[in-house]
Amino acid sequence: MTDRLVDEAKLLLRNVSFQIVSQGAEALVFKTNIHPYFNDDQDESSYIIKYRPRKPYRHPKIDKSITKSRTIGEVKFMFKLAKAGIRAPRVVSTDYFNGIIWMEHIGYSLPDGKESTLKNWLWYLEKVRGESLSEEVQRICVEVGYLIGDLHLNDMIHGDLTSSNIMLDKKGPALIDFGLSSYSALPEDKAVDLYVLERAMNSTHADYASEYNSWLLKGYEKAHSDGHYSKQANKSFVEIIKRLEDVRLRGRKRSMIG
Amino acid sequence: MTVDLDKYAKPGKSYYIALGLEGSANKLGVGIIKHKLGQLSDSNRAEVLANIRDTYVSPPGEGFLPRDTARHHRNWVVRLIKKALSVAGVKGTDLDCICFTQGPGMGAPLQSVVIAARTLSQLWNLPLVGVNHCVGHIEMGREITRSENPVVLYVSGGNTQVIAYSKQRYRIFGETLDIAVGNCLDRFARTLRIPNDPAPGYNIEQMAKKGKHYVPLPYTVKGMDLSMSGILANIESLAADMFSSKGGKKAVDEETGELITPEDLCFSLQETLFSMLVEITERALAHVQSNQVLIVGGVGSNERLQEMMGLMVRDRKNGSVYSTDERFCIDNGIMIAHAGLLGYRMGQITPLDNTVCTQRFRTDEVFVEWRDD
Repeated sequence: MTDRLVDEAKLLLRNVSFQIVSQGAEALVFKTNIHPYFNDDQDESSYIIKYRPRKPYRHPKIDKSITKSRTIGEVKFMFKLAKAGIRAPRVVSTDYFNGIIWMEHIGYSLPDGKESTLKNWLWYLEKVRGESLSEEVQRICVEVGYLIGDLHLNDMIHGDLTSSNIMLDKKGPALIDFGLSSYSALPEDKAVDLYVLERAMNSTHADYASEYNSWLLKGYEKAHSDGHYSKQANKSFVEIIKRLEDVRLRGRKRSMIG
Repeated sequence: MTVDLDKYAKPGKSYYIALGLEGSANKLGVGIIKHKLGQLSDSNRAEVLANIRDTYVSPPGEGFLPRDTARHHRNWVVRLIKKALSVAGVKGTDLDCICFTQGPGMGAPLQSVVIAARTLSQLWNLPLVGVNHCVGHIEMGREITRSENPVVLYVSGGNTQVIAYSKQRYRIFGETLDIAVGNCLDRFARTLRIPNDPAPGYNIEQMAKKGKHYVPLPYTVKGMDLSMSGILANIESLAADMFSSKGGKKAVDEETGELITPEDLCFSLQETLFSMLVEITERALAHVQSNQVLIVGGVGSNERLQEMMGLMVRDRKNGSVYSTDERFCIDNGIMIAHAGLLGYRMGQITPLDNTVCTQRFRTDEVFVEWRDD
């Protein structure tokens, strides 16, 4: 991460002290204890600031419109998640002109000091405690699958499901990072979403991926058969799984032989 | 890297020489390359003995048709090979192998060049090596710039891919979902009747330098993939309004009220397309945690694209951009010779029965035996 980007962020977030959490291709993520508009010294909760920096290579007009539309898109998606009761950080404030989203912080610090993403938690269990297939892991994986099932039943697509985009805390799992999200009712899009997660689990948790994936799917199925949604939910689950098998066969990248 | 590249060296010979034939699109290229024994390194670099090219240029407003391009290649291939041999100062019998483009590309031109390759192989009794065109670009770019393990942006008239190396394959991380970026530029050049000489993309680049106003165009990045057909349709309709004799609605700049010129359109098109390319490259960089970018392919010789990539990389720690000039960016025979020779040194020889070329040949199908990092 270059200091220029951090300096720019400091200029936009004057009087706000923050720590850097991560830098992706598109955005920087900070953590702060300061609420954007309440001034309550008793408030101990922390917030996440997601900042999309200006891209100097883009024409200023392109840059402005992209930053704005993506920030708004993400905020809207998070708002819809909140309405649908799907766990994700709640939006506190947004400055779409400067590409800043201020949101609730979900998660805690694991004993090894890392943020409690599903990835870090599983790695912690794999490496430090050597109990990767405990009942607790199974329970959490099923809950994550249930959460994704809920998401898809609302015809919402995350677009970048990986174990590092799932946060854990006492209340259970929550989804984060909706930069690539979209809306779709097609089994194809849902199956691709699941396939992306499956691939991510295979590459980041290679040793136990098959167990994790089967538990995730179990939770995903449970969401569809729970009866919260219409009776068609079961049917659509069958369709999605059938499509997932097709997607697995062709891969995301179709081969173009012959 | 610990691959033994000299398992198949001829006894008593301290070097290899390969001839490469390229003809997957409208360029016919013949190249002759020399490798000394041992690993390629900063002190033991591949030596370019000859790199000759002839381009089939179609009239303004027209693309190159497979039939005409194949005829051009058939007419010129013998002359070019003779010239290459005399420039390099070698005889056919000095060569180790004949390399040719097996795909991807246009069928008819590929076939006419592969016939030349087969003939030479039987004439001089040399083995044939079929080469994937994309891998040719990547390997030549790596050799010229000496970049170690870059994320490769391969942009040309027929291909748009972001590629990273992993476990002996060049894996595609992102690519176009419809048309290639060069194709988009070429077709727009046809709409504007921009000459195809020396290349439509080059002429668009020159016009874009004079453009001032940015016209909003769709921006279609989908994860690490992109789509360009919608942008082309959009800008073509703007251009059609501009040239309409009925005096229909002409586009004006929102701020100044000035009329939009063809130069402005070229400028806007480049800015939009290249922003998308740089964005997906940045995503791939973040994904594989690399900081080197190598740009290859014909569109890679565009200086604006190189500049934008440089600006992107500046915000990443220790980032660097590698690119080559038109001799190695635009399709050429030397890259086929180079990549083919690397394969030959690992024993990858294509028997005559398997020299059928294919229009569809994915980059990740090639087993990159000569690397093992």
